[in-house]
Amino acid sequence: MRNFCYTGAMKLYEFEGADLLEKYGIPVPKRQVVTSPQDRVDISLPCVLKAQILSGDRKKAGGILFANKKSDLSKALKNLFNKTISGEKLEKILIEEKINGVAEYYISFSFSGSFRAPVLALSRKGGSGINDAFIYPIDMIVGLEPFFIRQALSKSGFPSKDINPLCDIILNLWKLFTEEKVIVAEINPLLKTKEGAFFACDAKIDYGKRRSIEMMDGDIAIIASGGGASLINIDALLEAGGRPANYAEYSGNPKKEFVEKITQEVLSKSGIKACWAVGGTASFTDIYETMKGFTEGLKKVRPKPDFPFVIRRDGPRTKEAQKLLSDFAKKEGYNFFIYGSETPMVETAKIVVALAYPKKAKIKP
Amino acid sequence: MSILIDKKTRVLIQGITGVEGSRACREMIEYGTKVLAGVRPGAGGQFVENIPVYDTVEKALKHHPEVNTSLIIVPAKNVKDAALEAIFAGIPLINILTEYVPPIDSSVIVAWAKEYKIRVVGCSSIGIISPNKCKVGSIGSAEIRHMFKPGPIGIISKSGGMTAELASVLGRSGLGQSTVVGIGADTICGSDFADILELFEKDKETKATVIFGEVGGVGEEVVAEYVKKKKIKKPIVALIGGKFTHMLPSGTVLGHAGAIVSHGKGGYNSKIKALRENGVALAGTPEEIPFLLKKILKIR
Repeated sequence: MRNFCYTGAMKLYEFEGADLLEKYGIPVPKRQVVTSPQDRVDISLPCVLKAQILSGDRKKAGGILFANKKSDLSKALKNLFNKTISGEKLEKILIEEKINGVAEYYISFSFSGSFRAPVLALSRKGGSGINDAFIYPIDMIVGLEPFFIRQALSKSGFPSKDINPLCDIILNLWKLFTEEKVIVAEINPLLKTKEGAFFACDAKIDYGKRRSIEMMDGDIAIIASGGGASLINIDALLEAGGRPANYAEYSGNPKKEFVEKITQEVLSKSGIKACWAVGGTASFTDIYETMKGFTEGLKKVRPKPDFPFVIRRDGPRTKEAQKLLSDFAKKEGYNFFIYGSETPMVETAKIVVALAYPKKAKIKP
Repeated sequence: MSILIDKKTRVLIQGITGVEGSRACREMIEYGTKVLAGVRPGAGGQFVENIPVYDTVEKALKHHPEVNTSLIIVPAKNVKDAALEAIFAGIPLINILTEYVPPIDSSVIVAWAKEYKIRVVGCSSIGIISPNKCKVGSIGSAEIRHMFKPGPIGIISKSGGMTAELASVLGRSGLGQSTVVGIGADTICGSDFADILELFEKDKETKATVIFGEVGGVGEEVVAEYVKKKKIKKPIVALIGGKFTHMLPSGTVLGHAGAIVSHGKGGYNSKIKALRENGVALAGTPEEIPFLLKKILKIR
């Protein structure tokens, strides 16, 4: 069974990835980043123009163009700068000298949950993804030794002549993978010229970090606690007919300033119909502290929200937290509905939906 | 009975002098766990909650050879070092609470643990509790410890926060727990669902198991395989989070490091399909779990 922990939120742009590869001694084509069609281009022709976006399917969306003549180049630049691909507006274009490849390879390192180890993926068909590649889990007691790479290359059917130069590139990519502590380091394609030189023509480097808030299209603002509980709760919200405005989650024992910041950010979106601060029964999250952060964030939201708030949380210092919340609502004039563990988390999904869309509501909170 | 920890558990805490380490120490002692020693390089000779602190694991074991469990709560960058120290000292059970350990470091820990036949639970585990017997880690702290009651149900959860929520939902229906294990939700983990299910399978007290899973990784799919191959015969009720994640782009990282949105393998539908096809009972909400358990175990 295969499990690839692939593409995460903190991906590098291709040009950033290329810089990183170069830093680790992996050959990349001569290149330049331009930010407007007027920028001077120093790359010799023929060249490739590549839209710098993070979403895939760039090629299909026309985000990669070739230029053989000067007139092609300016036309292509104008064309690309007018484009929006998968909702991302183009701000940067990477221009690279065109490498004439006689072969295209695929090389990557990523983590496999089923092998519980990093894996080297190799394919003689560049362009295709990891799913068509040969997979070699790495024994982390020995680490990655050159003989293992040579064996893997040989078993994957790479030509004898390529084994030594590819082994060097793979060792350098491994160095990048382990030292940068990324979750994916991929070269796709690695082009081979007819002189036998290699160039990494596209790179995907992913640090696997997450953003604290993912914006969504709906109108119920969510401040969720607990990695697992947040998923169960948003599932329940959807089931109840609610439309999440975002995914935001904090867990562990965060400082109140962190909750304050998330609260402020989530509630500053326009068109919010209700806010749902929801979490399970915490083991060691200080509920009073986090709710204090919530009220302080709320105070800073302008215009002052007149929509209802459903708050469901339990755990250490819950009683103090509930008193803080009800006193705050009374004093400042907010519409709070406060619940603890006696009310199931997912039950409060129905309550917040009923409050957000009162006309459609079947139940009353 | 119970699994992993019980009244015979003797604990060493690596990182005992830290804020989280000393708190876990205090709460474990309050619960009745036998904490014998702590380690903090450079703090040898000190005491935390009257527990002696040593510079090295080796030295701690020399004075307390009864230690059979190590709890690791050190900064993420030091976890590999601390875990290898415990593994090479031969401590048979290691529970790692620290979050955000680089997966490359976890891979090294897991490889050596396998070599030395050491069980690792974590990283990013909230801990382990065998109600009224012993607890290791932050699970069931302070006021909420009463939510964990002894009984016939095993719980395995990727989510720490959900352990208390699930125990309290079960408890309200009169279903206590044999052992509750937080396995963490990292991409590379020491023990996954199937590993712990195998232990519950052998435990006489455990009649059924509840697993809380979520999008990312293939741990849930592996459970389905085990059930199919009859490696696990005791009933399982699963609650899987992340149905809504089809609304987010593939690759989005959610609350846990290993909770990565996928629209294929590792995604919500893949897990649900695998589990359902192999006869694992699926709960839509936490509250449905006791209902399903009672039906399966024929308890009124």
